[in-house]
Amino acid sequence: MVMGPRGTVFMGTRQLGRVYAIVYRGGTREAKVLLQGLTQPNGLVMKDGSLYVLAINRVLRYDDIENRLDNPGMPVDLTQTFNLPTEVHHNWKYAAFGPDGKLYVQIGANCNICEVNPGVHGHIRRYNLDGTGMEIVARGVRNTVGFDWHPVTGELWFNDNGRDWLGNDGPQDELNRVARGQEGAFYGFPYCHAGGIPDPDIRRPQPCAGVVMPAALTGPHSAGLGLRFYTGSMFPPSYRNVAFIARHGSWNREQKFGFDVVVARINGGEAKIEPFLAGLLDPRTNAFYGRPSYVLPLEDGSLLVSDEMNGAIYRITYSASEAGR
Amino acid sequence: MVKLGVAVVTFTTVLAMLPRPALGQARTAAELVGACSACHGEDGNSRLENVPSLAGQPEFFLLNQLVLMRDGVRTIPVMAALVRGLTDADIQTIASHFAAHDPRASSEPTDDALATRGRALAVTLRCGSCHLPSLEGRQQIPRLAKQRIDYLTRALKDYRDGTRAGADTLMNNAVAGLSDADLTALAHYATSPEP
Repeated sequence: MVMGPRGTVFMGTRQLGRVYAIVYRGGTREAKVLLQGLTQPNGLVMKDGSLYVLAINRVLRYDDIENRLDNPGMPVDLTQTFNLPTEVHHNWKYAAFGPDGKLYVQIGANCNICEVNPGVHGHIRRYNLDGTGMEIVARGVRNTVGFDWHPVTGELWFNDNGRDWLGNDGPQDELNRVARGQEGAFYGFPYCHAGGIPDPDIRRPQPCAGVVMPAALTGPHSAGLGLRFYTGSMFPPSYRNVAFIARHGSWNREQKFGFDVVVARINGGEAKIEPFLAGLLDPRTNAFYGRPSYVLPLEDGSLLVSDEMNGAIYRITYSASEAGR
Repeated sequence: MVKLGVAVVTFTTVLAMLPRPALGQARTAAELVGACSACHGEDGNSRLENVPSLAGQPEFFLLNQLVLMRDGVRTIPVMAALVRGLTDADIQTIASHFAAHDPRASSEPTDDALATRGRALAVTLRCGSCHLPSLEGRQQIPRLAKQRIDYLTRALKDYRDGTRAGADTLMNNAVAGLSDADLTALAHYATSPEP
């Protein structure tokens, strides 16, 4: 989900092969199908008026998109230069432009747990705008679908989803930091999980040696997806520079966990997780009613939250004058 | 945490799924559904080998699959010609029709021993986590209860062997490494999951 400079919200999908454009004109909101027939076009990025669409096996650029919503025309096809792997497993895309102007994109591990070719899978990489100059920024990353840069330090923070089938309680998912100057560091997959748990299936001597430990553990099988820092002024000052994380919720555990949006309060290289949007999970009946997927802070300081299960986007606002009523 | 009473939280649903374009050359519901019924059964309960039942499937799931097939994202050769040219409104008509029908188990014989084994496996594999403990499915997740055994077995094998991915690869993960006998047992259980 991204917003164009003229206020169009673009929404990718993982299920339906579509990209939607949501426009607000003359007091009415309209959601129109912008693109269709793509394979999981989940990665959307805006840059200089162009919409970049990253599907599993394609990278497309639609120039001047907000003037062409009714007919986006033929895209500039960057697929060959980006040369992304075509495996579907853990490969739905998240992408964003970094403060260095480069396009960052993740490549998930193509399995639940296995040895991967580290030059191809299990990392975050960055490119020049035209798809040249690929560099790996973080290695040993199982599956991240959300990252952002800290508004003050400019460091990259990312979610990583832990492996399945090691029990109800772990390994927990991770929130990680790529410290300044540590680009290319190793985050443990497949040998070492969640701050020091050696993998029982994929072994090596000293499994956690040289592994960057997570800044925070974000819960067992909680599936943290979207991650965005908040710099707006609508929410109380204590929310400035926190990261919002959408947790899609667990499937690989008996008592369900997640299905919410949490806040990560960052202090140096560590982070503390606290609840923000709750109530979609009923722990008594173990039933859930929504699956938050992404968070998008808007310029006015409100926060959009997408819900993949219900096909909905929610907007959260805060009014100090109404607080406490 | 934003608590009601401390702050006012406004929730607005901004986007509802599937904006519907205007109808083109409208086909009647009977025409649309008739084409499906030839194989999937007039009441959506399939009597043909390897053809899935659609009765009682969640409407949202049926909508998704028809759109994916029409747009060429999910390729099923035998379906290609049938879904070509369907409008979003046609797809809505078909999905609502079959979602509203009562599912009935097929006449395939079920093996109680296999079903018992399948029940234990389904717990271990957390099938009910997404498909619900009743295996009735919900929203974008398909119903498995009362589905045909031959179809389910084949679908599970396709997930295990990586020849089918689904909307995400969670199913590939869930059935990775299972034997043919395990998958058959799951299908025998799913067709009648009552405890």
